[in-house]
Amino acid sequence: MGDIHDDVSRIEALFRSVLSTADSVEALQGVRVRFLGKKGEVTSLLKQLGSLPDDERPEAGRVLNELRDSMERSLAEKTRQYAGAQVTAREREEWIDVTLPGRGRPWGAFHPVAQVTQEAIDIFVSMGFSVAYGPEVEDDFHNFEGLNIPPHHPARDMQDTFYLENGLLLRTHTSPVEVRSMRKWGAPLRIIVPGKVFRRDSDQTHTPMFHQLEGLLVDENISLAHLKGCLEAFVNRIFGRPLKARYRGSYFPFTEPSIEMDVECVACSGRDPGCRICKGTGWLEISGLGMTHPNVIRAGGIDPVRYNGFAWGMGLDRIAMLKYGLNDLRVFFEGDLAFLNSKGERR
Amino acid sequence: MFASLNWLKELVDIPVDTPMLAQRLTDTGVEVEGLEVPVALFRGAVTARVVSIAIHPGRPDLFVLTVDAGKRKGVCVTAARNLEGGDVVPWGPPGCVLADGTEISCRDFQGVTSEGMVLSAEEIGLPGIADEYGILRMGEGFTPGEDARAALGLDDTVLELSITPDRGDLLSMVGLAREVSALFPEARYKGITPAIQPRASRLDGFEGITLTDSGCPFYALGALEGVNIKPSPMRARVRLLLSGMRPISNVVDATNLVMLLVGQPLHAFDDARLPGRDITVRLAREGEMILTLDGKTRVLDGEDLLITSGGKPVAVAGVMGGEESEISGDTTRVLLESAHFDSIKVSRASRKLGIPSEAAYRFSRFVDPCKAETALAVAMEMMASWGAGVPSGWIAAGEAAQKERKVALTSKVLGKIIGTGDLDMATAILERLGISTGDHDPSVRHYSIPSFRPDISIEEDLIEEVARIRGYDKVAAELPPVMHATGDITDRMRAERAVRSTAMARGYSEVVTYCFVSPQSIAALRFPGPDPRSSPVALSNPLSVDMSVLRTTLVPGLVQAVLKNISSGWRRAIRIFETGMVFFRRGREVEEVFKLGGCVCTGVDSRSPWGDQGTEDFHSVAADIEAIFASRGVAVDLVPGSEPFGHAGKTARVLADGRDVGYLSALKPEIESEMELPAPVFLFELDMGPLVHDGKATFGEVRKYPPVFRDISLVVKEGVYSSDVLALIRELGGPLLEEVRLFDIYKGKGIPEGHRSLAYTLAYRDPERTLRDDEVDQVQGRLRDQLAQRGIRLR
Ligand SMILES: [Zn+2]
Repeated sequence: MGDIHDDVSRIEALFRSVLSTADSVEALQGVRVRFLGKKGEVTSLLKQLGSLPDDERPEAGRVLNELRDSMERSLAEKTRQYAGAQVTAREREEWIDVTLPGRGRPWGAFHPVAQVTQEAIDIFVSMGFSVAYGPEVEDDFHNFEGLNIPPHHPARDMQDTFYLENGLLLRTHTSPVEVRSMRKWGAPLRIIVPGKVFRRDSDQTHTPMFHQLEGLLVDENISLAHLKGCLEAFVNRIFGRPLKARYRGSYFPFTEPSIEMDVECVACSGRDPGCRICKGTGWLEISGLGMTHPNVIRAGGIDPVRYNGFAWGMGLDRIAMLKYGLNDLRVFFEGDLAFLNSKGERR
Repeated sequence: MFASLNWLKELVDIPVDTPMLAQRLTDTGVEVEGLEVPVALFRGAVTARVVSIAIHPGRPDLFVLTVDAGKRKGVCVTAARNLEGGDVVPWGPPGCVLADGTEISCRDFQGVTSEGMVLSAEEIGLPGIADEYGILRMGEGFTPGEDARAALGLDDTVLELSITPDRGDLLSMVGLAREVSALFPEARYKGITPAIQPRASRLDGFEGITLTDSGCPFYALGALEGVNIKPSPMRARVRLLLSGMRPISNVVDATNLVMLLVGQPLHAFDDARLPGRDITVRLAREGEMILTLDGKTRVLDGEDLLITSGGKPVAVAGVMGGEESEISGDTTRVLLESAHFDSIKVSRASRKLGIPSEAAYRFSRFVDPCKAETALAVAMEMMASWGAGVPSGWIAAGEAAQKERKVALTSKVLGKIIGTGDLDMATAILERLGISTGDHDPSVRHYSIPSFRPDISIEEDLIEEVARIRGYDKVAAELPPVMHATGDITDRMRAERAVRSTAMARGYSEVVTYCFVSPQSIAALRFPGPDPRSSPVALSNPLSVDMSVLRTTLVPGLVQAVLKNISSGWRRAIRIFETGMVFFRRGREVEEVFKLGGCVCTGVDSRSPWGDQGTEDFHSVAADIEAIFASRGVAVDLVPGSEPFGHAGKTARVLADGRDVGYLSALKPEIESEMELPAPVFLFELDMGPLVHDGKATFGEVRKYPPVFRDISLVVKEGVYSSDVLALIRELGGPLLEEVRLFDIYKGKGIPEGHRSLAYTLAYRDPERTLRDDEVDQVQGRLRDQLAQRGIRLR
């Protein structure tokens, strides 16, 4: 027997190399036999311990025992890995088809308008606006006169109204809630009003019922800059990226100045003259807005000299169409599951 | 409104190209919805004089023409019979392209080669321009050899404009020209100056004009003698067509062109057909009638303003003239009306009578009263220049001029709104709009508002003018200043969101259906008379009968959605829900109630790898209702109940914290078959009210000692409700009974016919100590005895 340390190093290197190629429980058993079995390499060395001089024997014994323990540990560890992959009879018996559809019901589906409404509200709430509601059946005062639209005013032609048998009407916009809210809460005030509105109109881009989001901010020293800031923040959040905005002069009886806000086409960014969404103009009408008319502030019981503000109204159905790439409004009100379930992941 | 760019250019120098003009108009509030070149494809035709006309030698139905286009002459064959030698016509030589895109070539007509063709109004693309059939005779004012497009005034661009209701002044070329001149500092407004100066005089044999109502503050009449009714000059007809109006005759066309030019509607009476020698403007008598020139008899009321003559109505003021005094082919003397009418009076009459005439449209939006005389002068001048008649006199009544109005603009408010309070800048812009001031004060100035801008009455109106012309892009965006309070979505929306997310998580799809439904869809649900759901509020002007009453229940919309899905091929289970208002009659008012409605249909194909476990039924829907309410901390119980449309054995009332909030019901089988529903349908409709008021959640104490469980099985008659049995067990179970849960229902072997077995597991617990088995056995035994004493059989 030469130097015990040489033998140990040699055997250990050999063991590591053989172990690394063993890839089954059986192969590992073979490795164990080869090194640690009755005629194994380490076993035979151990057997030779007796022939060593007394002064070398304890040291050699310690080294060999350490080697044996380390090999046992390595083998046990690797054997556990491979043994874990073994299939027991019980498991074979308990096999199931794991690819079956989950039992119970799949997730339902949100309505695009309701979903957009929720997202829009959350954006404005983050800017300090609170939700307000008003009735869907309105009277002439709140829907028209209180908003600076007297009877026979040509602005009434802008909105074809559904009247009820009792002389009341279905609100043509969510604006009546402005006056109601100002009277209830006074100034300063930040409200948003989501809700159904009704106009006597029906074609591919108009349904007799649709959804608006009205907003009103009343405070001291409010400017057009604030109006633009609010609405641009909203647009960028709801469409998920900064969009160019443009503002055009317009007319609403309840704002002065009155403005139409367009944003860059979400489909083509103004680069496709044949774009169906923006009809090649590159712009999409997104909201009618303006500084609240002093008469309306006054109708809300607030002093128009001290306070001023701005308001806007936007069609949520249209925003849903743009956000989800739809081109016919009418499907929104048919409850068609094939349509409602057709969307993939939320964008 | 359609505006010819060439016409506009006659009134204002425009220093920019057309796209830039359109852009600027749109940005400042006059939306340009379209820019169109009229009959864009038509090209290559020339004006030519017909030199000779001969009958085709081999085809007696055809004529052979020689035409002279100055440098070029040609031979054309035509079937048209309306030509005379000397007529100037459009000639399309070979290579000319017609309005429909057809290219013209030479064509042989039995030995005669036609070099192109002479053209009709249709072939040019202007079918409305001639009232005679055949080739377009262009009339006077054309020399042979001109390009026909240019000669007819078709080398033009038509702007399609959307004018907001506050800007009645822009419903005229003059008004538009003024607006354009304000948009570009380099633009120069030319306007119009009629050669005839209006001067009121007498009209021979005419008794005068009487104004009796404030709705007509001014009324002028101009007379034309020797009237010769014929078509207007060709270019005038083209201009009318490009402006969206139909040429009729020289007199009528002149009134229309002047209306388009100045904005003042005019009306021409055939003087000979007026019933009297006077004009009186008065309110109509209730029930008075007039035959308007559209051939309809109109019944008037006491608020309609009438033009009368000899006591008889001859026109509805500002709306439409009467047929009996209408201009006709044999009119020889015309009285031309130019008057100012109150916008509300006209608007009301126009809507009520259903006459949306161009005149009424303009009067409703306000017409500048100061333009009435100018318009009359321009019209008479135009008719005279066309040889349509000879102006012979002019009378007027009332006062056209208005009081001067001034509006103040302060630097402070202007600065607050647009970020700069520079009144010099504001003055420069306003003066271009005709709004002037002599003030130079840097903090406040008073501006004179011209009569054509009635829409400007307060400071904010001036600010809008400054802001829009200066450009809204000049204002930098900025978030509003400090919040005074946090934003809140409110309890109502929290409830809605909880309902939405719970329902969707449980497999329901969200739908939105119309608030108006058909009366039949409500009637189909068999509500008895006293049920408020039986009498929905009706719309007085519905789009269709299917959308003619306000829903009193969400059921019709939900059921319709189910039917729609099945008919479009959806075979699996349908689970839908909707939150929204239903509407009830409350005296003269309408009460709105916020409801949650749901509908589950087992589907045409309810097969599932899980067998029954995958099928919808009453109880699976009941669990959904429990979960939805639990999401807002509200506990529900189902108790036996009924609905007129509900299955008698499968309808429950839903109690939320003991209060009836609605129902869960299978649809009555009879209604199911009436509606041709191919699979069972379950419906629920619940008040959202209890969910809006959040049941504030609190937790009980932590339980330290374990419960002890005992089971009990009872045999009860069919028809006995489990909830009653459960209540009885609770009542009799004593203070240690913590929870009772039904775990089995059994019918069949060992259970008598008409009975079923209900098995419950009972949990006993003492909060203070661990219970011993023997004491629980004792309690359970006592319970069994008591149940047995009440005649309930134990298994
Ligand atoms: Zn686009």
